[in-house]
Amino acid sequence: MLTVRDIHVSYGGIRALKGVSLRVEKGEIVTIIGANGAGKSTLLNAISGFLKLGSGEILYQDKLLPKRPDRVVKAGICHVPEGRLVFANLTVEDNLRMGAYLRRDKGAIAADLDKVYGLFPRLKERQRQIAGTLSGGEQQMLAMGRALMTDGDLVLMDEPSLGLAPLLVQTVFDIILEIRALGKTILLVEQNAYKALDAADRAYVLEQGRIVKKGPAAEVKADPSVRAAYLGTESNTAG
Amino acid sequence: MTQFLQQLTNGLSIGSVYALMAVGYSLVYSIMNFSNFAHGGVIMLGAYFGFFGLTTFKLPFAAAFALATAGTALVAIVVERVAYKPLRDRKAPFLYFIISAMGASMFLENFVIATIGPNPKPYPPIIPREPIALGDLALGRLDLIMFIVSAACLTLLVLFIDRTRLGKAIQASAYNMKASALMGINTDSVVILVFALGGFLAGVAGVLYGMKYMVYPTIGAITLKSFIAAVFGGLGSLPGAVLGSVLLGVIETLVAGYLSSQYRDLIAFVILIGVLIVRPTGIMGKAVEDKA
Ligand SMILES: Nc1ncnc2c1ncn2[C@@H]1O[C@H](COP(=O)(O)OP(=O)(O)O)[C@@H](O)[C@H]1O
Ligand SMILES: [Mg+2]
Repeated sequence: MLTVRDIHVSYGGIRALKGVSLRVEKGEIVTIIGANGAGKSTLLNAISGFLKLGSGEILYQDKLLPKRPDRVVKAGICHVPEGRLVFANLTVEDNLRMGAYLRRDKGAIAADLDKVYGLFPRLKERQRQIAGTLSGGEQQMLAMGRALMTDGDLVLMDEPSLGLAPLLVQTVFDIILEIRALGKTILLVEQNAYKALDAADRAYVLEQGRIVKKGPAAEVKADPSVRAAYLGTESNTAG
Repeated sequence: MTQFLQQLTNGLSIGSVYALMAVGYSLVYSIMNFSNFAHGGVIMLGAYFGFFGLTTFKLPFAAAFALATAGTALVAIVVERVAYKPLRDRKAPFLYFIISAMGASMFLENFVIATIGPNPKPYPPIIPREPIALGDLALGRLDLIMFIVSAACLTLLVLFIDRTRLGKAIQASAYNMKASALMGINTDSVVILVFALGGFLAGVAGVLYGMKYMVYPTIGAITLKSFIAAVFGGLGSLPGAVLGSVLLGVIETLVAGYLSSQYRDLIAFVILIGVLIVRPTGIMGKAVEDKA
């Protein structure tokens, strides 16, 4: 579904991605784990068209992906960004409706809104609340719901569990599985390697702008060097 | 009392034109987070476009008005493409935008001085001078037109921003460009749209202001007032810009009427600065970040 081929991205002189390749197949949950600064957000922002590629190419459904964020959305890729970026001045429902900006079919939008509220009952309760007054966990749900409202088939998620209390982290990962059950494909970027590897089918390990390991999530999870670098003990990574 | 009402109506009329200018400022600020100092130059061109439409081309007023506003919308877009877009693409710091804006402003002003000349020119007398009597009040026809046209433009703008899909895109982009792009909004088009709207309003303001006073190359300096009014009302807030401008217009006229027209600007600005000291975000502004 998505093929990233040997992409290089730099910020001025800083090389953030040094030849990254990866594949995501329809219906999969693929995770990219890596430490802070490894280049995870850079990768997602490059896919979404926010950053220029130095070289390499990105294909989506066997076609070159457009290089402008709005066209990437139109092509069917949605992105739950790092830091959520909800419209803090709008209500929960208006945030969700912004997600449907490119869509015209009112009936389908209403149906998807119901779906999102089904997935996040908390958002339904807070329909008319101003998004800026939501808790961090609720804002994360809103950011996910808003992305789903674009009706993209591939969902990019940038550290959805960041800064959340352990209980909410579990909820977020449960929801990721539910989103897949809706027929979506997910590319999940996480520092919380333990949970991410549990949820994912396949995994890539990103270190300083390079993929250093890849394989089925269970295998990556069992890899001694990955265990040493990213997993530590279960208890101190779960939170 | 009559004199007070008289001053008040005059103040409302000039304040509404300030509002047109300030809203153009605020619109661009809300999206781009910098003060578009080239706005004054665009207003000035609007005044000249209207003037030449009426004199050289002998157009009927409506046609000259349409020409002027379409012209300024276009000029505003060109300014954005030439002076700001290259900076946006390079994610340049805000200071560069301000410098570029000042450069564009100086260019427009000096271009007009070099090609048309520095002398003020009066608009042809299209609107009869004799006022309309309303009880004891004498309402200037031009003042009335200024107020009605400005109010109509501002109302349309608010409806556009509030009710249309593109208006929603503007609101979203004003909040956060990246988040808007993630919704599928073409933020580059939103920027063009905002400059076109600001340019259109600049054209309206330029023609009205030129009709009231005269046309001259430094007419754009008046935007310093609308800029301060926009800050006073709360930069980035459209209702704030309107309120700040109308208040400025009224304060100015009252000071000129009751105290002295020499102190008009001085006292008006002292009051505005006083308000900003007490409320740095302006009357309706949100939390202040350090933006230029
Ligand atoms: N806007 C930027 N300008 C310059 N360098 C950046 C920028 N964003 C990220 N970087 C650098 O690129 C590298 C990768 O960053 P990022 O993709 O944010 O990592 P991650 O999301 O894995 O934490 C880091 O070294 C970071 O400092
Ligand atoms: Mg990141």
